[in-house]
Amino acid sequence: MIEVEALSKRYGNFTAVGNLSFSVRPGEVLGLVGPNGAGKTSTLRCISGIIPMNAGSVRIAGHDLATEPVPAKRELAFFPDEPRLFDYLTVRQHLAFVARIYGVKGHEAIAEPLLAELELADKADVLPVELSRGMRQKLVIACGLLHSPKVMFFDEPLTGLDPLGIRRMKDSIVRRAREGAAVVLSSHLLHLLEEVCTHVLILKKGERVAGGTLAEVAAQFSNGEANVSLEEIFIRATGGSES
Amino acid sequence: MLGALLYLRLTSLRNLIAYRVRRLRQPRYLFGAVVGGAYLYFFLLRSLRTTGTSGIAASRMGEAAVAMICVFMCAAALLRIAWAWISPPATPGLQFSEAEIAFLFPAPLARKTLIHFRLLSTQLAILLTATIMAVAFNRFAFTGGSRMTRAAGIWFILSTFALHVSGTNLAVARLKERGARYGLWRAGAVAAIVLYAAAVVWSAAAFANLGSSADLPDSGSLAGLVPGLLASSPLRWLILPFRIVLAPYFAADLGGFALAMVPALGVLALHYYWVSSTEYRFEEGSIVLAEQRAAIKAAALRGEAPSVGAFRRRAQPGPFPLSPTGPPEIAFLWKNLLSMRSSLLSRRTVVVALVATVWLSLMLRPFLSRAAGPGGIDSFWPVVVVFCAIGACYTLLLGPQIARQDLRSDLPNADILKTFPIESWRLALGEILAPAAILSLVLWFLIIVSSLTLDSGGQIEWLTPAVRLAAALCLGAAAPVVCVVQLIVPNMIMVLLPGWFQATRSRSGGIEVFGQRFIVGIAQLLIALLVTAPGALAAALIIFSFRLSIGVVPAIVLAALAVLPILAGEAAVGLWFIGERFERFDPSTEIK
Repeated sequence: MIEVEALSKRYGNFTAVGNLSFSVRPGEVLGLVGPNGAGKTSTLRCISGIIPMNAGSVRIAGHDLATEPVPAKRELAFFPDEPRLFDYLTVRQHLAFVARIYGVKGHEAIAEPLLAELELADKADVLPVELSRGMRQKLVIACGLLHSPKVMFFDEPLTGLDPLGIRRMKDSIVRRAREGAAVVLSSHLLHLLEEVCTHVLILKKGERVAGGTLAEVAAQFSNGEANVSLEEIFIRATGGSES
Repeated sequence: MLGALLYLRLTSLRNLIAYRVRRLRQPRYLFGAVVGGAYLYFFLLRSLRTTGTSGIAASRMGEAAVAMICVFMCAAALLRIAWAWISPPATPGLQFSEAEIAFLFPAPLARKTLIHFRLLSTQLAILLTATIMAVAFNRFAFTGGSRMTRAAGIWFILSTFALHVSGTNLAVARLKERGARYGLWRAGAVAAIVLYAAAVVWSAAAFANLGSSADLPDSGSLAGLVPGLLASSPLRWLILPFRIVLAPYFAADLGGFALAMVPALGVLALHYYWVSSTEYRFEEGSIVLAEQRAAIKAAALRGEAPSVGAFRRRAQPGPFPLSPTGPPEIAFLWKNLLSMRSSLLSRRTVVVALVATVWLSLMLRPFLSRAAGPGGIDSFWPVVVVFCAIGACYTLLLGPQIARQDLRSDLPNADILKTFPIESWRLALGEILAPAAILSLVLWFLIIVSSLTLDSGGQIEWLTPAVRLAAALCLGAAAPVVCVVQLIVPNMIMVLLPGWFQATRSRSGGIEVFGQRFIVGIAQLLIALLVTAPGALAAALIIFSFRLSIGVVPAIVLAALAVLPILAGEAAVGLWFIGERFERFDPSTEIK
């Protein structure tokens, strides 16, 4: 579903992501972890087609992102860490706009349960200025889920959500993966990744340090110990520092 | 896709209007709307009634004015185009909002569709600007045509120009992206522009020489020269692309406009094709641009100068070593000077201001000296004095609006400030010190220049070196206190009417916010006059009364000694009031 091959992203002389390869199959949730500046957001932005990559290839649901960007993007949804909304569109109008962009027929029937699930139903006709940060984040999630994407990219998805929202978000990610979606999730909350992810990819300075199922990565860094936490694995894998 | 984009724009516009109408239920917005509306009516819309300028249009002076405007517009356009090649943005892109980037960049839209979306969105803004400019510049009706044709003409000019600048930026970026011979291409383009500009100047100079040799009628007058200049060969052919774009604006009637529109539309269409067919991957540059715009907006809401957020902040060394002990006010001075240095007072700003001042002086010096004629008075130094006086007035009245690194910029940190173990009046004083120091430095500079250049011809007998020195020292002593008093006024408005104050920070607030800004500005002016006028009057009275009995210099010193305590007392009361009010200030409830 997601195939990334030798992805590189440079900003001038600085290499944010170098020669990165991985794949995510339907039903899998890949946790992207790494210290600050490891290249997680750059990777997510490249593989969702927001910024162009310098080298490599990305295939989304069989479509090459570079040569077939439109069909590839039709299958994906990107959820940024910071909710950025149109100042003068209401919650409902945001959904109508997104439905039009993605060509979602009869979007109202999908939108209503989504709004109810995300506890936005009673805010459907208000502008973003009247929403709390958590609610704005929920609106972004609703917009992303509206076209039932097969591929989902989450960049720090729990920022700004209340405990109940966090629980629902986790459940929602797991449920959609079970329904066949391929999910990539970037977060510093390692306990979240432990709960939600089937696979993990550890990055440092834009390069892959370790990757595989949680068990595989644990085995790689456990040094023979049992029940090593992801936090401990992360510290061992990255050397405990950003540099 | 166009439907979705239209939906976004039209729905946003409808909701924006509804939101602003709803907001009028709050008295401050209603009052602001009334005042803003009245201002626009009396200063802009009323001028729409006056159109009878066809007589002027027919006159030679009208022709000369049109030609001058034409020359100015061509020169400005050429400079801007040259600048786009000389100093292209580091990461050029198209201007999308952060929300547009978040929703549209990952969406299944082709790059071309995004470009069309951007270009069409720009059109809405340009249409609005063109309408406002046509109303605002109604006084230039002598350029010919009707309001409609002038508005359409402005739209042509702005659209073509915006497309050209976008196209140039994207073309330069594309060359940079490809890497090979990027420097060569740029150097070639700059050389071509310089050659072109030289050819224009040469052909204009050739025509001017012809004019001065009296081969032309009216050769000595501007009215005779300038229109002829634009019609002369080879200049008219050199500036043909500019003339095509400007022609609809300057069309004398509807028929002329229709004729001028055909080639102008052609140029516009070519530009549209050029930009929309770009192969440059503009996404990264657009994200940077959007972040910059968001930073500017956030800076404005924090109370900083609008341009502050435009460039990246850099870590700066402290303006002076800050000792861990001593008056806490100095810590605020240190902090606010530091933030000023990284924003308002960048090295580039200071260098540009100095170069501009020196350049202007060098340009004016021979012109003004020659104007005096043989035996006349050299009018350069009086002009310098007048400029110093104007500069001082601007520093006192507008300076506090520009130098805002005080309580106003610290409003978001009010909660933290209130936890500091420091008396509130001292906090207010500390916050005001940095802008007061900057404005005082400017005033001191102007006082020194004025005292050295005033009456350079020695016409005023009583203006002896001793009088100059005494006046300069006394004014210099009063300057910091006056600056503090001037800065107290906006800070006082801020703590008294925080809702009003915060609303005026919005960069796109409509007529009601414009009205609020106007009211706050007038209030500041009136209060400033009320506070400083008694001191100034008292000083003038003392000098006038005692100059004969005790001499001018002692009278000046006496006036300063009498007035300074009054000003200092006013400043003290003001600071105490701000401190007391700030102590009771609750940002969570008072700023909405």
